[in-house]
Amino acid sequence: MPYMQRDALIQASQFQSTAARTPPGLVVQQLSLSYPGNGSALVDINLDIPAGAVTAVIGPSGCGKSTLLRCFNRMNDTIEGCRYSGAIYVGDNNVLAAATDVTALRRRVGMVFQRPNPFAKSIYDNVAYGPRIGGIRRKRDLDEIVERALRDVALWDEVSDRLHTGALRLSLGQQQRLVLARTIAIEPEVLLLDEPASSLDPISTLKIEELIYELKHTYTIIIVTHNMQQAARVSDWTAFMNGGKLVEFDETDRIFTNPVERATEDYITGRYG
Amino acid sequence: MSEKLSYKQHISAQFNAELDAIKNDLLEMGGKVENQIELATEALLQTDSEPAEAAILIDRSINRLEVEIDEQCARILARRQPAASDLRLIIAIAKVTTDLERIGDEASKVARVAIKLAPVQSPQPTELRFRRIANHVNRMLRQSLDAFARQSVEQAVKVVLSDADIDDDYHSAMTELQQAMRTHPDHIEYLMEQVWALRSLERIGDHASSIAEQVVYLARGVDIRHADNEGLRNLIN
Amino acid sequence: MIMATGQSLPGQRRWQRVLGTLMIWLTAAMVTLSVLTAGAFLGLLLWFAGSWLTAEGMASGGVLVRFWGNLQQLLFQPSASLGIEAMLPAIIGTVIMIILMTVIVAPLGVLVAVYLSEYAKNTWYTELLRIAIQNLAGVPSVIFGVFGLGFFVYAVGGEIDGWFYAETLPRPTFGTPGLLWASLTLALLTLPVVIVASEEGLARLPTSMREGSYALGATRFETIIRVLLPAAGSSVLTGVILAIARAAGEVAPLMLVGVVKYAPTLPVSLQAPFIAFEQKFMHLGFFIYDVAAHANVGEGRLGLICAAAVLLVGLVMLLNLTAVLLRKRLRDRYQALSEE
Ligand SMILES: Nc1ncnc2c1ncn2[C@@H]1O[C@H](COP(=O)(O)OP(=O)(O)O)[C@@H](O)[C@H]1O
Ligand SMILES: [Mg+2]
Repeated sequence: MPYMQRDALIQASQFQSTAARTPPGLVVQQLSLSYPGNGSALVDINLDIPAGAVTAVIGPSGCGKSTLLRCFNRMNDTIEGCRYSGAIYVGDNNVLAAATDVTALRRRVGMVFQRPNPFAKSIYDNVAYGPRIGGIRRKRDLDEIVERALRDVALWDEVSDRLHTGALRLSLGQQQRLVLARTIAIEPEVLLLDEPASSLDPISTLKIEELIYELKHTYTIIIVTHNMQQAARVSDWTAFMNGGKLVEFDETDRIFTNPVERATEDYITGRYG
Repeated sequence: MSEKLSYKQHISAQFNAELDAIKNDLLEMGGKVENQIELATEALLQTDSEPAEAAILIDRSINRLEVEIDEQCARILARRQPAASDLRLIIAIAKVTTDLERIGDEASKVARVAIKLAPVQSPQPTELRFRRIANHVNRMLRQSLDAFARQSVEQAVKVVLSDADIDDDYHSAMTELQQAMRTHPDHIEYLMEQVWALRSLERIGDHASSIAEQVVYLARGVDIRHADNEGLRNLIN
Repeated sequence: MIMATGQSLPGQRRWQRVLGTLMIWLTAAMVTLSVLTAGAFLGLLLWFAGSWLTAEGMASGGVLVRFWGNLQQLLFQPSASLGIEAMLPAIIGTVIMIILMTVIVAPLGVLVAVYLSEYAKNTWYTELLRIAIQNLAGVPSVIFGVFGLGFFVYAVGGEIDGWFYAETLPRPTFGTPGLLWASLTLALLTLPVVIVASEEGLARLPTSMREGSYALGATRFETIIRVLLPAAGSSVLTGVILAIARAAGEVAPLMLVGVVKYAPTLPVSLQAPFIAFEQKFMHLGFFIYDVAAHANVGEGRLGLICAAAVLLVGLVMLLNLTAVLLRKRLRDRYQALSEE
């Protein structure tokens, strides 16, 4: 793996970042996971996710992409009987350690799901939810956070005149951007996106991709997608998974022009199955 | 791990068919170009204008094939968004088509020279070398197309390496032509025509070599256009 | 599928179509019939209610005028000649009891529902609990009265008296039927409805909503309080509406745990502590029963009963309407485009 290029890439992204902060990279070591009564869903994953870049995770349905993503913020903890082993370092902390404060972790590592899942609350309350949980009470502060988050996801102009109406009345594309704004509002360092555009129309999809492109300077972004063109468009790095295993991880340019592994080649060119 | 010998079929049979069609068109174009070169060199060496006319006629269908193949490439890029080996195949085909078309042009030039020289019994000081060069570039083209069809890196590299072998003949032929110009200044017009023909043959060799380079890109994803001989040999071993 | 063109459908399909039309008409007819019946029933009640009190010289005027006259007298003037009390205290008693019951049953029901849906794992114990709750809904209401009398009045009330009102013993304070015990008994009676509706409301919320909240660093408690319950609010209110409807119709258990024919004072007052939990109180349902059973058989007895019935129905409708409006507001708030 061309580490030199990787370092150059990391440095470039730090240089461009406007906010004076460096998102952490993620290091996955010997991660294995099993669901109750379903055998193992992840098998000995080792992965080095660069900071401040977009990493795409691709692979056939059921290969464990979502499962892997949900390890990064310990979302799998909510599934009863789900067992995992190994280590995931976000910065210096092993987040899989028993001592990890999961709620604090999830504020560091934000997640957007496949289907837009706004709460049955107003647009404003949706975005203010995370900050409020985090203890921000003053209306002026909340107003500011809400506006900034909505502007970041290019939704402000569309909804600023109806912030206090129900979020469920927005279109799917708007809902997904709202959910992204809701996540950004808690200022995480890492963004996990699980097929964020799979239920959206092409234009909304492009908007989301554009957002990802803009956000990558201040966040480490991991995006799961079953749309290979999307992975090719938005990501700097691509991981290809199959059957719970990591098959290949490399720069996106390389994966999409000349992958090393035969399985990757077959999947990318549509010869899978 | 990365044995790229026999690919599975695409899930989309239609895509398979499209790729097969474009490959067939390319090989058909290659065959026509080969044929054209043979006719042109034959005309030149036999001072016979009939095969030369045939060679020029072929060039039209070559041009038509070039346009057709380019259209197919554009269509596949737009509609299939090919990746990895498929992407490399389309890129390689597009480039090989260009090379083949240029080869066709050069062959036409040779044919035109043959037509000009046919009525005059001009001296042929370089016939032997001409024949050898013509045979050589013909072989290079055939082999590079063969390598393309079989995606054989080894054969392709051999073609690239063999390009240098023409040089000797080429330079000797040039010297001989200069000599002839000095001794027969009254034939200089015809001798100049022969110089053009020689240059065209040499260019055909270059294009054949460039086709072979695309074969390596197609099969391995490596760009060898500016690699040195040692790098090339490392590829085969 | 290839459709036959023109008017001639295949025989089977034509039958299906005829059958479908028939069903629609049948349903429409049934709905109309039930609406008509309900209307006729109410009209009849009104008619009888208006026909009462001829003796007082209100011979002229329509049914509604006479009904209103009856009502005024019923509400404010005990009719010694008929041997009945004024109805206003009964109305107030009914309303207070239902409100108290709602205040008790709603949080209790929601609590159990939250436990069952969000905290409890699916074990034989929770399964048993669910079955028990469902069966509770099928127990005859008078049994609840018996339970209330035995458990709340004697056991709990007796204990309370022993601890806090020892000086007034042997005269019982809480150890006797009263407003609190009646409300608690009814709360118990209606608890299954609230639990089932709330649990269903919670279960209907998608997992993705919960995950969305967890992913923002919320705890389970925060998720329940701030996301799930507001989202399930209309289901909870549906449960409460059903509970109110059921509670308003009950008389039998109340006779055992707090309702009396005549209470000298109201259970509410304008002075602190505003509400007297231990007092016995009057109830509209019982009033009807009492009039029917014990009033002097006079010319207008049926009208009197009917007037009271109309009032009871109106009261229940009013309470339900409040809850329905509340629910609608809750729904609109989060789904309509043009609000605020
Ligand atoms: N909650 C769960 N319980 C049991 N098995 C699960 C659960 N979630 C996912 N799986 C299984 O784990 C495997 C990986 O699933 P997932 O990570 O969702 O795949 P992907 O996102 O790549 O489509 C699948 O075989 C799936 O059936
Ligand atoms: Mg998934």
